Amino acid sequence: MNQNFSAHTKTLKLASWLGWKMESNWADWWIFAVYSVVRPLASSMILVVMYWVIAKSGNNPAMAGYNLTFMYLGNAFFMFVGNVLYGVAWTIHEDREHYQMLKYIFISPAKMYFYLFGRGTAKLFITVFAVIATIAFGMLVLKIQIDLATVNYPMLVLVTGIGLLGIAALGVILAAVSMVTAHHSFYLTEGVAGLFFLVSGAIFPIEVLPGWLQKISLINPLTYWIELARRYITGERMCQVLSGISNWELFFILTLSTLILVYLSVIIYRFFEHVAVQRGLIDRLTNF
Amino acid sequence: MKTDLKTNLKSIWARAYVRIVGANREPSWILSETVLPLLNTAAFVYVYKALNAPEEYIGFVILGGAMTAYWMNVLWSMASQFYWEKEMGNLELYLIAPISRMSILLGMAIGGIFYATLRALVVFIFGSLLFQVNFIISGVWELFLIFILTMIALYGMGMFFASMFMLWGREAWHTSNLFQEPIYLLGGFFFPVKTLGYTVAMFASAIPISLGLDGMRQLSFKAGKTLGFLDVKIEILLLLGLSIFYIWISHYALLFMENLGKKQGRLTLKWQ
Amino acid sequence: MAYPKSHGFLTDKKMNYAIETLKLNRTFKIKKAKDKPAPSFITALEEVNLTLNKGELFGLLGPNGAGKTTLIKILCTLLLPTSGTALVDGIDVVKNPALVRRRINMVSGGEHSGYGILNVRENLWMFSQFYGVPKKIAYERIDTLLKLFGLEEFARTRIGKLSTGMRQKMNVIRGFVSDPEILFFDEPTLGLDVQIAREVRKYILNWVKNNSKKTVLLTTHYMAEADELCDRIAIIDHGKVIACDTPSNLKRLLRKETIVHIEINLTDENFEHFSRLPGVKTFALEHKHNIGRTELKFILENDSAISQVTQALSSNGSKIISLSKTDPSLEDVFVALVGRSLESEN
Repeated sequence: MNQNFSAHTKTLKLASWLGWKMESNWADWWIFAVYSVVRPLASSMILVVMYWVIAKSGNNPAMAGYNLTFMYLGNAFFMFVGNVLYGVAWTIHEDREHYQMLKYIFISPAKMYFYLFGRGTAKLFITVFAVIATIAFGMLVLKIQIDLATVNYPMLVLVTGIGLLGIAALGVILAAVSMVTAHHSFYLTEGVAGLFFLVSGAIFPIEVLPGWLQKISLINPLTYWIELARRYITGERMCQVLSGISNWELFFILTLSTLILVYLSVIIYRFFEHVAVQRGLIDRLTNF
Repeated sequence: MKTDLKTNLKSIWARAYVRIVGANREPSWILSETVLPLLNTAAFVYVYKALNAPEEYIGFVILGGAMTAYWMNVLWSMASQFYWEKEMGNLELYLIAPISRMSILLGMAIGGIFYATLRALVVFIFGSLLFQVNFIISGVWELFLIFILTMIALYGMGMFFASMFMLWGREAWHTSNLFQEPIYLLGGFFFPVKTLGYTVAMFASAIPISLGLDGMRQLSFKAGKTLGFLDVKIEILLLLGLSIFYIWISHYALLFMENLGKKQGRLTLKWQ
Repeated sequence: MAYPKSHGFLTDKKMNYAIETLKLNRTFKIKKAKDKPAPSFITALEEVNLTLNKGELFGLLGPNGAGKTTLIKILCTLLLPTSGTALVDGIDVVKNPALVRRRINMVSGGEHSGYGILNVRENLWMFSQFYGVPKKIAYERIDTLLKLFGLEEFARTRIGKLSTGMRQKMNVIRGFVSDPEILFFDEPTLGLDVQIAREVRKYILNWVKNNSKKTVLLTTHYMAEADELCDRIAIIDHGKVIACDTPSNLKRLLRKETIVHIEINLTDENFEHFSRLPGVKTFALEHKHNIGRTELKFILENDSAISQVTQALSSNGSKIISLSKTDPSLEDVFVALVGRSLESEN
């Protein structure tokens, strides 16, 4: 048991190191820092401009409690979703088609599941930096109202960690699907992130969605994660649909749904891995 | 000259064939290129709904979401494709063949336009139906002309980007990654580009899709002209100029970067 | 017809050469290391002067890193020389690369080119289109070549499902489909089994024999391959051409010498001092750990030096297992010229 744990930890560490190397060694450190911040800022500014365009015309937001802070914070945290999903899921395509090393890693004693998690951590660390920079920009330049003194840092870190575990598990599911699909995994990842963008209440309150989509939002762990993150930062219950649920209840729902997601990811991964091995897809090249 | 043109035309078809056949043989793209992009666009629609925005803004988002398909096709299925071809070992075979590099890129683009158009149509048609967008077309031929010129200029810009990938590897990849979101912002994919202010909007006009979207919105929505940046006729002329400029500059950029790559010995260097 | 030099064409005389290089140099800059004051350079090619006649099957022989691929890349217009001139069919590769490309094609060993989504026939057709081959002619050539190479039944198989040998055969066919004037083969039999390598060599040889104006430049580090196929061979090492002649003339360089192969028990002994023995011109050594032997190859001035060598081995404590005298091979020529064997270098 100890040996397994040690082996998995080693795989995680090695994969993290490899992921970091791939993410960072293409440019000088300062270019890399600029790159890591400019892109998330630009994506935030799209929403900010959308908000200002309508707010300037004097329109009142349709939902109570919906303001720039709601949208900005939600979008900042949602960056984790896109980037970590991509970091984990893209590994299959990159190692298989680009570096043609997937088969060698696959046949090694290292567990692919942990390898995928490890490869996602590089993107995770870069995104932490980007999220902090984005929120700082929001506070300093856009005058987003956040009182740093009232932020519940321990719970924020804990909740973020749980959320990231869930996102990484989702990434593993996408990676597993990528094993049996062609090089479209980029669009698949982008598309799935888009789906969650719609149903996680990140940039708009879920009350604005039609009833059936609201139900989907309520079974999506990310909805609870983003709402909890907003609550621990602002101290306010920003999503009206969830306003009747306490922080601890939300925490419990998030933790339980994340554990279920992790469990599902293991099962789904094993299934697709089996299919890929059966069909001899581990080392195929599909780029066209 | 005649032989050259014929060979280049054959090359365009040959390279497009790979993409077209690939789409048929690997249908796993269908979900990710149709349903999922629609959901992404819908998220921005709901932002405007939550903000109680005027109806035409929903239409702006649908149009912008549809055009995203072409922008993604240009950036990832054309511009950066030389990077993948290099890694696969095909780039050197293209480079020693007696054909223009632009014909290879055009072949890739034409092959990819099939996916892009399908994605754009799904977002446009289903988005319009789901969110009950009312289009009031005030100039069919102008709309068609703007769309065609936008495509030519956009794909010309894509060829210009492709020249970077001839020389650089992951630097070019990350540069394209870096461009993606700022171009969504400056291109006015989800809001009228006029709202960025005159100076920024003029600067953003260097991106063909900024002018293209603006022109298309002016011709498709009642409030389009009020929220438009420049007069449609001026935008058509500017797009014509951009088309010529980008195709011209991409020809020289490709040659320049290829020569630089040959000088530095990086043209066929993998894993940069 | 003569063309002015400034347009990258040369005079009638030089148009007879398929390939010509004049003082060709290529250096590569190495990224500056943290502990070094300035970036350093690697010389991949140094003052290479070569001429290939039309209709010739020319071999470029040398160990890994000798500069063979660098030379091919320059001639194929993938790389610029640092200095010097390279002409392909009388056309300067730097000034008129587009014209050069119409006349050439290239096949590399260990290639993974092509698209896994297409079948063999489709891949070959696609590449033929880049050379403007009319569709009907392209398919005729492809079908003929597939039959000749025994790939007919795999014509509609996706290339991702082919074995390494089949894939390389397909790559070789790709080179011929455009019917180039000059074909560059960069280690075409690398990693192939004996049977397939033989088939590929046979086809290349017949192609040149049956087409008097077609030229092949073949790089290899397999001596036997070069010996079997090539009309002339250039031996290249560390970027320099150290000899260039027909295989038989190269072997005649060692006609007066005595070539002796000696096998002893595997040993860690240092044999450097053997090169100073009287009568020893040069020698090479190879440890064969799998059979517990060390093989020594001596090039001696004459037969009388054999006893010097055997005595020196005995005093060293080595037990001689076998000793044989052979006719000079290309490898012996290489050892004589370079001072080490190709195997030990690799």
